Amino acid sequence: MSERTLDRRGSGWMFVRANPGIVIGAGLLLLMLLGAFFAPLPFDPVTPDPANVMLSPSGQHIFGTDSNGFDVFSRVIAAGRRDLPLALIGTAVSLVIGLLIGLPLSSKSRYSEGFMRALDAFQSFPLIVLSVTIVALTGNNIENIVYAIVIINGPRFIRLIRGEALAIRDGRFIEAAVASGARPRRIVFRHIMPNVVDICLVQSSLTAANAIIVIAALNFLGVGVSPPDPTWGSMVQAGAQGISLGQWWVAIWPGVAIFVAIASLNVLANGIQRRVEGG
Amino acid sequence: MSTPAVPALRARQVNTRRRAALKYAIKRIVIVPISLFVLGSISFVLVFFIPGKPAVTILGDFATPEQVARVNQELGLDKPLGERYLSYWGRLLHGDLGKSFFTNEPVLDDIGKFLPNTLELVVLSLLVAVLLGLLIGVVGAYFSRRWPDRLMSGITSALQSVPDFFLALVGIYVLFFLLGWAPAPIGRLPVSASGTESFLIFGSLFSGDWETFGAAVSHAVLPVLTLGLVYSAYFAKTTRGSMGKALLTPQVEFARACGLPERKVVYYAFLSARTTVITYIAILFGSLLGGAAIVERVFNWRGVGQWALEGVLKVDVPVIQGFVIVAGLMTLTLFLVLDLLVLALDPRVSYE
Repeated sequence: MSERTLDRRGSGWMFVRANPGIVIGAGLLLLMLLGAFFAPLPFDPVTPDPANVMLSPSGQHIFGTDSNGFDVFSRVIAAGRRDLPLALIGTAVSLVIGLLIGLPLSSKSRYSEGFMRALDAFQSFPLIVLSVTIVALTGNNIENIVYAIVIINGPRFIRLIRGEALAIRDGRFIEAAVASGARPRRIVFRHIMPNVVDICLVQSSLTAANAIIVIAALNFLGVGVSPPDPTWGSMVQAGAQGISLGQWWVAIWPGVAIFVAIASLNVLANGIQRRVEGG
Repeated sequence: MSTPAVPALRARQVNTRRRAALKYAIKRIVIVPISLFVLGSISFVLVFFIPGKPAVTILGDFATPEQVARVNQELGLDKPLGERYLSYWGRLLHGDLGKSFFTNEPVLDDIGKFLPNTLELVVLSLLVAVLLGLLIGVVGAYFSRRWPDRLMSGITSALQSVPDFFLALVGIYVLFFLLGWAPAPIGRLPVSASGTESFLIFGSLFSGDWETFGAAVSHAVLPVLTLGLVYSAYFAKTTRGSMGKALLTPQVEFARACGLPERKVVYYAFLSARTTVITYIAILFGSLLGGAAIVERVFNWRGVGQWALEGVLKVDVPVIQGFVIVAGLMTLTLFLVLDLLVLALDPRVSYE
């Protein structure tokens, strides 16, 4: 074994020690994603078993079964196939919109101020109701929840990126770039964009956390659900009735999955933030 | 020689500041009608996003063309667009928001019936959220980087990661099923009671109807606790941030040097951090009007959010429009009051 591999292993461990938040958050998330797509499930998540309905957790069904006889454990794991990628796609679209609109608006012209006021008015709406409306109206597909995520999170990205870019624009190096005759496009892409990457990373993981809540909330309301495909929100909804009767396992386990997914994204965001600030 | 000039100069400075503030306030108020116009127009345009025809929504898929034509005429959909827009504004300015497609109830009456429920829920939840959030945030900021701070920030992140509807279900399981402390999540009062007046809690409190008051409060505990806990995370975070900064300022050092008791020191630090908290109250109030919808639905609270949500799920256009207008109107008013309040409270805000 050469010294270099040892070194690399050593520095990897250093990274873990220095950034526990990033490692734990990203690790949990990766685990959930891999599990959703590749883990061997004890039962088929979409095959009902009428003989075994509403069983409480046991050795065979470790999370119990629901009123259709679905195995709750298999469904909780399999639901990640829909919820997680959708959240990531929604986040990516919000980020791109934030960059495409936020960067050009990072000037103090009257137009950009006017646009920000309009954005204020838009954001003051009860956005969850607006997004339910839009998903319900554009056809009740789970893919359309991406619109809801973007409507809620796109403006946040625009605001954040614009604010950061405005601050960066005051920097000496931008002045120098202007003086040396760089075109506006080069300034934006070569000088400003690399400097907003950090906050974009932090905001992206916060957005993904929010996206998971939005997806779960809409599915909980029955919007964008196509039974029998499992999603965490629709599973919580399926268990909501039984919870007053003490049948906790149908609703609680998918709820715990939502909690773990959101918490690991929040931990990831905190970890990135800490690393960026150099604290 | 310069002594007489100084008061004059100060007077002029104060005057300029006042004038700037007044100008800002007027500007802020002038914007309101413009915002209202935009709001009303958005709600009008909303109808064009609806797939299919409203007439088909009302009558069902098997309606005959004659029936569709008749309903279209009743709704005024056969007229040209410009005329429809004008008559829409005409009705709106008379306070006529139309009738629900499904229940045929006037939308304004429905809102009058359901809005008080939501207001009670939101006000009580925000009260819990603010008190709890301030406590968590101030303790965290005061013991900065020691174990209480870590504990409080842990609690904050946990609260931030729970969806409200899930916390509601956990609450029902623990407080209703296991412990039996809270009543069943079936609405605002027990099935036997027949109180249908608006403002159940505040109303019965003022009229001294203790039986209704007790029943209404016990039914409110779980939803209020759910929303209060979830939203306290926002206050905890902002308070921790702004208090953390405020406690490091020279004025706090000076207050300590003067020998003020710690309680006073923290209080003065809080005064300089309070505008952020007030801003957050207004923002959350606006978003909770609709944002409480899911929790309202879980507890069958019969609030305006639940009503709008059910309208949305049924594609009940006048209900959606009415909700957008009323919620938007309330949010606009709230932000106006907020801006003027911050203007009055915080001399550091610039008016440009």
